[in-house]
Amino acid sequence: MKSWSSKSAALMVSVSLLALTACEEPKVDAFVFESLDQCKSDPLASSDQCDSSFAEAQTQHATVAPKYSSAADCQADFGTDKCEEAPYKTSNGGSVFMPLMMGYMMGSMMGGRGGMMSQPLYKSAQSPNSFRTAENQNVGSKTGGTKVARSATNRPTFKSSTRSRGGFGSSGSRFGSAAT
Amino acid sequence: MQRIPVTERPNLANAAAEHELEYSAGKGVTGWDESAYYQFTPQQIEEDIEGPAEELEDLCLQVVDRAVENEEVLSRLGIAEPFWDYIAQSWRNGEKNLYGRMDLSYNADGPAKLLEYNADTPTALYETAVFQWEWLEQATEQKLIPEGCDQLNDVHDSIVQAFPHMGIVDVAHFACNHDIEDDKGTLDYLEECAREAGIDTCSLAMADIGSDDQGRFTDLDERAITTLVKLYPWEWIMAEDFGRLVPASGVHFIEPPWKMILANKGLLPLLWGMFEGHPNLLPAFFEDDPAASTLAETGSYVHKPMLSRQGANIEIVDDGKTLLNTDGPYGDDAHILQGYHPLKKFDGGYPLIGCWMVASKAVGLCIREDKTLITGKEARFVPHVIQG
Repeated sequence: MKSWSSKSAALMVSVSLLALTACEEPKVDAFVFESLDQCKSDPLASSDQCDSSFAEAQTQHATVAPKYSSAADCQADFGTDKCEEAPYKTSNGGSVFMPLMMGYMMGSMMGGRGGMMSQPLYKSAQSPNSFRTAENQNVGSKTGGTKVARSATNRPTFKSSTRSRGGFGSSGSRFGSAAT
Repeated sequence: MQRIPVTERPNLANAAAEHELEYSAGKGVTGWDESAYYQFTPQQIEEDIEGPAEELEDLCLQVVDRAVENEEVLSRLGIAEPFWDYIAQSWRNGEKNLYGRMDLSYNADGPAKLLEYNADTPTALYETAVFQWEWLEQATEQKLIPEGCDQLNDVHDSIVQAFPHMGIVDVAHFACNHDIEDDKGTLDYLEECAREAGIDTCSLAMADIGSDDQGRFTDLDERAITTLVKLYPWEWIMAEDFGRLVPASGVHFIEPPWKMILANKGLLPLLWGMFEGHPNLLPAFFEDDPAASTLAETGSYVHKPMLSRQGANIEIVDDGKTLLNTDGPYGDDAHILQGYHPLKKFDGGYPLIGCWMVASKAVGLCIREDKTLITGKEARFVPHVIQG
């Protein structure tokens, strides 16, 4: 099953020619809250925006959260009692697990990114103080108005529960290069 | 068109290291030869290569337009029935093509002839777009070549400009066989172009792609793949275990499925069938077509598998005798016969002219020299200039 911590290994190593490094990524303004109440008590956030953003993040939660076919695997990554059953089944009827939503992120009116889509946030067992997006991007531990990497505000993708791998690649091992 | 000897750049070893190309003292850069360059006139480039390549592209698209509606043709190309509708849909939906390389036999002594179209998984892209261009800049600066030389080489900018129009939503995944350095290097370069175009990317090995319960393909982070830029031939994808899942996977592939019609050497008889006598085409027939015998009877032709790579399993027959015959793993497939239009010998070998097509425009030139008439793995890239 997937490991929450191995993500960094999958980050692409870029060719040296066109320097485009993640560390130079621009930061944008955003709001991070751990609950709807916390959002509503922030004088800089409007109550309406809190409601709609929270609802949007909650709706996304089940689709974008990382998925596991065993509760133990999920808890290993997110902590005991920090996982729940996802509204999906595996093909043979087994349960699918995902971490609890621990907060949400929404656009900041001040930063001119008020139209930014809100999204659910999670906390890993390894660094329980930091919020992470469903794409495993750390957005820090600060709540309220904050600055996050621009890519962290991208819409999170659907997270699946892979049944099998290795169905591609056999011809490559047989024939070698795909070059023509 | 002339082949002109030139001094190698004194900084070649450094340049190779900077671009992560293999270099050894004495042998130089693997697959690269800058001890000479080919010089063209602007007229040769515009009238003999660029113009004809774009015209050929147009003919190719007309072939696709007809082929996708014709089950007999798709079957003859060796495409399995479950993919017919899938391919046709990709064409009808207007899925965009990104890149390809036409291989031409040309020596300024008559029209260029299309030998094949590497329309699915072309390589030598980085050497063309980046290393060759840098050679021109440095060789000019170091006064190794005359001032004011140009190149047909708008490959990089064209790719970067094409990416935003490819219909990519969210993240684009890039996959190939990671065990093959050349393939990985080419794909890494394409990925950099996509990032330069502002697209979020993620790379993985073809073998690491997963399949979930809903029939979607997944990456190692359990994200469903929405766009897959692959440097992996369509015929391999279709034949492998996950191939049957492809049509319903919802994945947007680059190159699109219809491109496999152009990457198949069966394209050549299809082109000849529709546009017989076109100055940039050679006569070509499916081997099992009775009309192939008229070409065979001339005693001069090239026998090619419909699907082969890097010059493998090609036989040249001239004067009724086998002149050259290469080995390879593709000999059991169906073949075509194509008219013989030998590459001209220059000092150093037989140059094959590759014309890069990006979004159907001719934007780059890549010349590879082989010691033999069949351009294979040992061929070396030789830079070119345009001098007015």
